[in-house]
Formats: sequence, structure tokens, C-alpha cells
Amino acid sequence: MINTQEILVYITVLLAVAFLVKKYFYKPKKTSKSCGKDNCGCH
Amino acid sequence: MSVEMLKVALIGNPNTGKTSVFNHLTGLNQQVGNYPGITVEKKIGYCKLTRHRKAKIIDLPGTYSLNASSLDESVVIELLMNKNGDDFPDVAIVVSDVENLKRNLLLFTQIKELEIPTILVINMSDRMKRKGISIDIPVLEKELNTKIALVSSRTKNGIDSIKTLLQDYKNISSEACLDTSLIDVTYFDRLKKAFPNQSLYKLWLVITQDVNFGKIDKKPMKDETSFSFATKSNSELKRLQQKETIARYKFINDTLKKGYVVDKSKATDLRSVLDKVLTHKVFGYVIFFGVLLLIFQAIFDWSSVPMDFIDSSFASLGDWVRHTLPGGVFTDLLVDGIIAGLGGIVIFIPQIAFLFLFISVLEESGYMSRVVFLMDRIMRRFGLSGKSVVPLISGTACAIPAIMATRNIESWKERLITILVTPFTTCSARLPVYAILIALVIPDQRILGVFNAQGLTLMFLYLLGFAAAIISAYILNKVLKIKSKSYFVVEMPNYKLPMFKNVFINVFEKTKAFLIDAGKIILAISIVLWFLASYGPGKEFSDAENIVKSEVVNQELSTLELDDKIASYKLEHSYIGIVGKTIEPVIKPLGYDWKIGIALVTSFAAREVFVGTLATIYSVGSAGEEEGTIKQKMAAEVYPNGEKIFTLASGISLLLFYAFAMQCMATLAIVKKETNSWKWPMIQLFGMTAIAYVVALISFQFLK
Amino acid sequence: MHTIATLKKGEKGIIQEFDIDLIPLKLIEMGCLPGNLVELVQYAPFHDPLYININDSYVAIRKETAIHISIKKVS
Repeated sequence: MINTQEILVYITVLLAVAFLVKKYFYKPKKTSKSCGKDNCGCH
Repeated sequence: MSVEMLKVALIGNPNTGKTSVFNHLTGLNQQVGNYPGITVEKKIGYCKLTRHRKAKIIDLPGTYSLNASSLDESVVIELLMNKNGDDFPDVAIVVSDVENLKRNLLLFTQIKELEIPTILVINMSDRMKRKGISIDIPVLEKELNTKIALVSSRTKNGIDSIKTLLQDYKNISSEACLDTSLIDVTYFDRLKKAFPNQSLYKLWLVITQDVNFGKIDKKPMKDETSFSFATKSNSELKRLQQKETIARYKFINDTLKKGYVVDKSKATDLRSVLDKVLTHKVFGYVIFFGVLLLIFQAIFDWSSVPMDFIDSSFASLGDWVRHTLPGGVFTDLLVDGIIAGLGGIVIFIPQIAFLFLFISVLEESGYMSRVVFLMDRIMRRFGLSGKSVVPLISGTACAIPAIMATRNIESWKERLITILVTPFTTCSARLPVYAILIALVIPDQRILGVFNAQGLTLMFLYLLGFAAAIISAYILNKVLKIKSKSYFVVEMPNYKLPMFKNVFINVFEKTKAFLIDAGKIILAISIVLWFLASYGPGKEFSDAENIVKSEVVNQELSTLELDDKIASYKLEHSYIGIVGKTIEPVIKPLGYDWKIGIALVTSFAAREVFVGTLATIYSVGSAGEEEGTIKQKMAAEVYPNGEKIFTLASGISLLLFYAFAMQCMATLAIVKKETNSWKWPMIQLFGMTAIAYVVALISFQFLK
Repeated sequence: MHTIATLKKGEKGIIQEFDIDLIPLKLIEMGCLPGNLVELVQYAPFHDPLYININDSYVAIRKETAIHISIKKVS
């Protein structure tokens, strides 16, 4: 019983860590930063 | 039989009731997501047309034209120009306001030129009589080469006629109603020669703005041909854009002359009456201040009842799970990590819902634009914009929706400063921390016989948060060398009675988005922190039970007390306990010991975790988490030499630390996403925490 | 010379030619074009921002923009 619980804990924690790593470090491929910044539509 | 899915893009100027039309067409059958890589809201809804045909309707962000001046607006262009995109529409619906038809038609003529079949919806037909407006629909349909649906989203009149037009979308013209290339024939001829297969208007749009899309990018165009964009300077291009606008308005004016009549003598004017009061140089501010008080009252007073209920519900749920499931580490994780973490998110729902309720009502009614107008000059002194008011107010509930609310600030510098300073405002996660510390170190007595010292301290901390935001904005404005043309143009919409359905859907969707986006992060961090607090290296941790038992063998302890002692010992030797001990030398000068250090670290999940962590460290977990007990334990906590840990000096130092420090990982994630770089969240993290450290240090050394 | 910034509350004017590089495109699209009518509806303290009616659109603009749009007063 305790073993199953231990395994579940490790899985959950790993999932949480994986999610956080993805959230903070994953870079979306398509970044459009051309607008909403400076001179858009203001040429 | 398969169901045919028609893709429809809903486009329109802000304040035309576009969202009401969307809500009527789709009901609650909507999904709110984000466009890839950016946080612009993407709203999709479904609408059944016939048994075999459904419409997938995309509600695009409101835009005044196809020349984007904000992130929200650029989404519209990207979507409409990318023919191979998943969301490229079969039909476009342009929603316009009957009172502002002239301006709204500008966007319509642009969309038409993209050669997408376009339906024109003229909304707010219920106001025509009051404004003395009459329209000749067949004439306008002929002149604009489109089909028109005259609707009132308020009375639901005409919504069905949109559906009828959609069913018959194949008969809707996709021809342009005027030709942009006529504004400079030679230039457009050369363009055409260089790119014979492209639509001239689309090329023109690409040239005049830096939108990346599909395969027609600026760079390959440059490489492949001898055509050089340098033939027109930015200034010349803008002159052409003005020429284009003049041509469009000329067409629109000619059209409206034929089919649109306004009899001003019949018009009644609510706007000028309300504006006289609401934008008055004295009453305007008094009323705004009153509205602010009402919002704070709602966030802090009215929401306390549901919040207490949520708090106790999650506590009972945790107890129930603990007693029902077999004991073990996973059950502990479920109760102390996951359920407690979820509770920590759900508890904010009442406050956030109230906040969105107010903001939604103020925006729908048209009042928010007046606030922007009133506050712009004052805010600009500090490098902010009138539009920064909404984020700063929202920040008192939670910085995450507040930072998302900065998106409509056009000037990048003003927007960036707003994002950077918003976390200083006292968000509701700080409240439980303030509450317990104030109760602990500030005497419950009256000053001058009227004011309660504890209440005054709380108010002072709120004002301090605003002051910190404003002052740091002032400094950032001087320090940041970002060249940014501020082109502040704010539409002052007509006053309208907010529609219940719109407000409800808005509050529901925004709250749901917060719950899911921020919730996932907070939950994941709670799980990781639980792990770090429940596991530790070495014998000290694994043998905790025996060590404690042998230590207290001579004392008469109840099982509960013994369990508490073991839990506390384990925490001390867990990974996070080691972190706490490691940072102790750094935080010692502020008046904190390693236990407070642990609480500071766990606060990164969400600040209010401070209270729960201290409860565990001072081993009151099993004896009940009532504030009274934690408070008593904290008050009794002493250093080995007998000195009290929580004194006025260390208490104030902690309060100030929490007021200034950047301790919210979820906010940092949002800032990273919104600014598209690690630089700014890191500046926030280290900058704010450094300020917090210095202020706390000074106050402790001064008071001790 | 009169500009939108020198209008008094309730006064109207006809927009004259202006330096296009100093005016945001968004305002031009709202109808800020030579020959169109503009009325000052309200102003905030320090005469900034200005709440105007331009070509039947109601907008607020900053004084720094308004000083670049010259007008001919009409009564």
C-alpha cells in the first residue's frame, strides 16, 4: 500500500515539475512581437 | 449525414455591441483561449444554422481599422490575411453601430477589399428613433455591394436575419467596394509588376505594417525581386495611408448621403447631460472616488462571506479525504498539497468575480473611458497612461488579471511601466498575511479615541502599495530609455445601460480563465513545495520519529502533541527546512529566523501560504488551524536566549517586506508572457525584492 | 494661429492641413482629416486631455497631439 502511494507521489510531483518547466521555459515557436510594441501602423 | 462547418469571423469597432451579437448567436456555447504565443483572448462560439450546417464564429478583438496600433488589433489582420490558416473565415461579419456608421464603415470597406464575402450588421437599431436616424437598407446594400442585417442586440431583434444571411453565404459578394490602388497608380503598378500573383491591397497592408504572416513575408519579397521598399519612406507611406483614408471617407459619405438620414431636431442627448457631471473637473473626481470606494467595499467586505464558506468547505473536504482514504504519503499529498492548493486558488474567486463585475459594468456603460480621460494627465506625470487606472485597481484583487488588462495601452513604454509596477498594489493574497501580523504586533487600541490602530496600519499598507507603484513608475519613466511615440486616442462611447447577459458571460469567462491559467501554476507550485517540505535528505529526516521520541521520553505528552513535535522536527530537516536554514544569515538582519525563512520561500506559490506554512512549522497542524491558535503560538515563539521572535520591530519589518517583495511566481509567468522576455520579470523579482529587503532592514534596525 | 488645443469648450473649427508625421494614424482614421468639423466637448484639468467631436466621432486626445492640428474657427 505504502509503495503504491509513494509511486503516485513521485508521479504527481514529476508532472507538476514538468508543467512548471514547460510554463516558464518553453518558448512558443511563433512569436509575433512586431506589433503592440512601438511604431505599429504609425509610419 | 455530416454537418458542414461554416467559418465566420466577427469583426467590428470597439463599442459597437459586437460581443452582444456574438453572445446572442452562440449563447454559452463558447470557448475562450489564447492565440498562440500571445495572451490575446481568442473567443470561439458555435451556432446552429440548419440541421446540416453549423457556424463556427470567431469573435475577433475590436479594431478601428486594418492598420494595427495594438497587439489585440494585429491579431485581426494576421487572421484575415493568412488564407491557409485554420481560422481563415468563409464569411466575415462586420458589426457596426447605427449612430457611428460613418466611422464603422471605414473598417467595412477595408475588409471588403480583402475579397472575403462580407455581411454588414447594423446594430443598436433600437436607438434609431431616439436619435432621429432613418436608413434605406436596399440602397445601402446596393452601394456597398453587400447584405445588411439591421439588428438590436438589446431587444434581440434581427439576430435571426444574420443566421438567414449566413445560410445563404454563397450569394454574398466578395468584391471590393473601392480600389485602393487608385491613390497612387504608378506605385501600385510597380507593385503589381513585382508580385503579379498577389492581391494589391494585401501587399499594401504588408508594406504598411510589420505583420508577419504566412509566406508573404517582407524579407523573401526583398530577396526574390529587385523591387525595393525603400522607394517610399515611412513618411511617404503614411501620406498615402492618409490619402487612402480620405478616399474611403469620400466613398462612405457619398454612400450615406443616399441612404442614411439623421434628423438632429428629433435627437435626444443623454451624452452631454451625463458628461457634464461625470467629466466635471470636481464632481467627476468625486464620483470616481466614490466608485473606487464601492469596488473596495465589494472586494473586501461583501466577498468575505463566500470566502469564509470556501475556506471551511475545503478544510472539511480535506478532513473527509484524510479519514476516508487509506493513510499514506499520497493521501498527505492529496490533502496538504492538492486540496489545500486548490482551496488557495478557489478562495480568490469571490473577489475576482466582484472585480470583473464592476469593471465589466463600468466598461459596458461607457464610464471607463471617462475615467481614462479624467486620470490621464495625472497618471502621465508618473510615466503611466489614463488607461493604467484599470490595471492598478484590478491589482488590489490580483496582479494577474491586472497585468492582462494592460493590453489596450498603445504606448509600449507606458504599458511596460504599468506591468512593472502593478505588483506593488496590495493584492488580496497579502491580506491574510497582513491580518495575522497586524493582530500579532500592533496593539488593539484607539488612536485619538477614534481610529483603531490595527485598521490604520492596514490602510497605511494599502496606501503604501499605491505609493510604491506610483513612485517606482516615476523612477522607471526617468530611467527607461525607450523611445515610444505615445499616441493616445481614446474613443468616448455613448452611454449605455449594461446588458446583464454580456456582463454575466464576461465575469464568468474571465473568472474561469483566471481559475485555470493561474490556478494550474499555483497548484503545481503547491505540489512541489509540499514535496520539498515532506521529504528530506539523510537520517535526521527519515529517523525523525525515533529521534523526537527519545528526546521527549521523560515528558508527559499526548499523542497529538507528540505528532506535532515530529511534524515540526521533520520540517526542520526537510529540503525546504534546509533552504530556510541556509538563508537564515541573510534574513537575520531583518529580524527573521529560519522558520520565517521557510514561510518566505513557500510564499512564492502564493503569498497567503505564509500563514499555512507557519501553522505547520509551529506545529499546530493537527491541533486546528484556527487563527487564534496560530497567533498564540507565534506570540509565544522565542529565540534560544528567550527573546521574542515576533516583536513590533520584526513584525513591522515583515509587513513591509510583504508589501514590497515580488513573491508570486504566477505573476512572473504572466509578465514573461506579456513582455515576451525574461528580462522584465527578472527585473521585477530582483528589483522589488531588493527594495523590500532594504526597507525591512532599515525598519527593523531602527525599531529594535 | 488656432489649433484644437486653443479651442474653448463648445467652440468649433474646420481642420486645416497638418504635418501628418505628428498625428497618429488612428486619429486620422477616426476622421481627423482636413476640411472636417471638430468641436471641443470637454477638457480635463490643465486643458489636457481634450475631449472632442471630430467628424461625428467622440474621442479624447492629448494636448501634445492637439497642438499640431490647426483649425479655422467657425461660429
